[in-house]
Amino acid sequence: MTISYDVLEKAITDGDIQTGVTESLKMVDSGTKPLEIFSDCIEPVLADVGDRFSRLEIFLPEMICSAEVVKAIQEALKPYLEADQTSTSKGKIVIATVSGDLHDIGKNIVKAMLEVNGFEIKDLGVDVSPQTAVRSAKDFNADIIALSALMLPSIPFVKDVIDFVEADTDVRERFKVIVGGGPVSEEWADEAGADGYGDNAIEAVAIVRRLMGV
Amino acid sequence: MKHTTRLMNIVQRSLDGPIIEEEDFNNKNVSQGLARVVAKYEIKVEKDRIVNLDDDLADRVWDAAVDFLASCGVYCQNTGRVILHSREEIETILKKAPDNVWIGAGTDAIHEVVRGVEDPRRPLLMGSAIGTAIEEEFYIPAAISYIQEPEVDVTMVPTLDKIYGYDIRTRSPLEIMSAWREAELALEALRRAGRPGMAFTGLGSSISDVGQLSADGPGGLRNTDLHTFGIISELKTNFEILNKLTHILYRDGIIDPYANPIYGGLGGGMEGQAVLITAAMIALNVVFMATCVGSSPTHPFNFNDTGREVMIPSSLSWQALARNSHLLTNLTITAVGGPGTKTLLYECVAFTVMSTVSGGSRLLGPRSATGSITGHFSGLEARFTGELLGAASKLNREQAEEIVQKAYAKYKDDLTKKPYGKHFKDVYDLKTLRPTPEWMKMYEEVKNEVAGWGLSFD
Repeated sequence: MTISYDVLEKAITDGDIQTGVTESLKMVDSGTKPLEIFSDCIEPVLADVGDRFSRLEIFLPEMICSAEVVKAIQEALKPYLEADQTSTSKGKIVIATVSGDLHDIGKNIVKAMLEVNGFEIKDLGVDVSPQTAVRSAKDFNADIIALSALMLPSIPFVKDVIDFVEADTDVRERFKVIVGGGPVSEEWADEAGADGYGDNAIEAVAIVRRLMGV
Repeated sequence: MKHTTRLMNIVQRSLDGPIIEEEDFNNKNVSQGLARVVAKYEIKVEKDRIVNLDDDLADRVWDAAVDFLASCGVYCQNTGRVILHSREEIETILKKAPDNVWIGAGTDAIHEVVRGVEDPRRPLLMGSAIGTAIEEEFYIPAAISYIQEPEVDVTMVPTLDKIYGYDIRTRSPLEIMSAWREAELALEALRRAGRPGMAFTGLGSSISDVGQLSADGPGGLRNTDLHTFGIISELKTNFEILNKLTHILYRDGIIDPYANPIYGGLGGGMEGQAVLITAAMIALNVVFMATCVGSSPTHPFNFNDTGREVMIPSSLSWQALARNSHLLTNLTITAVGGPGTKTLLYECVAFTVMSTVSGGSRLLGPRSATGSITGHFSGLEARFTGELLGAASKLNREQAEEIVQKAYAKYKDDLTKKPYGKHFKDVYDLKTLRPTPEWMKMYEEVKNEVAGWGLSFD
């Protein structure tokens, strides 16, 4: 029997949390495997949402709404996913704008793009110290630390995070550090020892995918 | 000090305004608030036209912006509260906003006045790369390359990429040292160029309150200079920003802040962006007591404002402001192209013509190569922009639209390629401080070409 995902697709696209959760629970009750819902419906729909944002056919509020629907579905299906011993996450990322820098929209765009591409995000906010970034990455058991700096006097704090990770051999094996933001260049990122550099949100997703091998 | 009562009133509102979580402010107050007024006031732009021709639409954008700001307010991150003003309060405060200001000192002082849509008076030019960084060895020559241009009325000096070989680190002694060094170099460049009283904006090498304010006083930034600070996107502030405002008021300085809404962000598409830009400019005066209000609305992936999707709401917003207020408004050209590229020059044509007929009182820039590439700027693009301001002042909006479309067609495919061009040292002769023949030839070719489109440089 072919499963119809029309209602669920529309709920995610429209940002309709209630319909999204109800429909996904209904599908699980009628025998569809939770992971199948993610692989056959949610992931392609979110990929399409991300693509449309990268072409600026939709905007940040719509993308956030779609991501919120999927987060609610993940929460609702958690018992079933745990029972199957499966996970929908493609990787865990802590994201932050570093000390002295209060710009958050660019970071929020990257965050939303990563979320709709299936990554689990912990957003540390803006003006985040290097110590807090590394400590939070440990607590979250992150794979990647993603850092943004839009102001030149904040860039040294990005290097601090890289240095802190480098200095700790235990976490150096666990964390990749990726960087971006106006004054940060690929050349600077290479010199600083970052594992990846993204000029914008689209590139950030590509780098994370490459680093996570997905 | 002036306006003590008003400042206290703003601080008080930041301490006892409505409490809200920041995420709820973003989603409910800003995003949903904009969606509400865009629908209520039937804001719909023509996506093929860059320069707005619809006066009624501009007036509806104004009404939508005031309505939106009165319900949204400005969020204070330190207190988790909203600084709110009613529609009546907003309108009362705007009536008292300055409509002119003298900037600079002595014979180098210039008079900025409010302009209207299709105003025949030339807007002022702040010829500058708007805080783009450069190595100290090129700092003074690069700054002089702008200051020496007769078309440049005021300037903003570059920022230093390092201070005495060290990375500049915010909230550290290195930041305070960089602020002082920037002020010293700025004053030296003005003196050497023979325009010591020309106003400059600062201090871009430092971003924190302690860094910026340290060199704002005797020996540093003067009260006849422009004192700038940015608010946080979208419609947010904190005590650091209010500290800067307080200090500027005590210094009796010219308050010249900016807000740069991000296209595709919380404001959504072009309609929401037009309302958001307008509301942000109103907030700069109502909440941040601005003498002049400014913006460089930003593309989320290219980081410029010369794309169609950013110029359309900018034109509409600037006309809304010019038709309904006497705010002194300035836009910044943030171009993708860098020196040594025709892309940069065509971007200057489109943006300058758009902003001039739309009523801006001052133009800033060009911030070449999006301001993100160290040393990629030069005074020649400011000279060209100044010449364009004079030529564009003779146009009506229909004529402007035709020229903007022609210029845009020349560079639209380059925006994602990011032709950042060359470093200052590669486009200027460092001994004579004149553009290289190659860069000069490019400028002359584009100037001749656009003269044929109807721009009169006489």
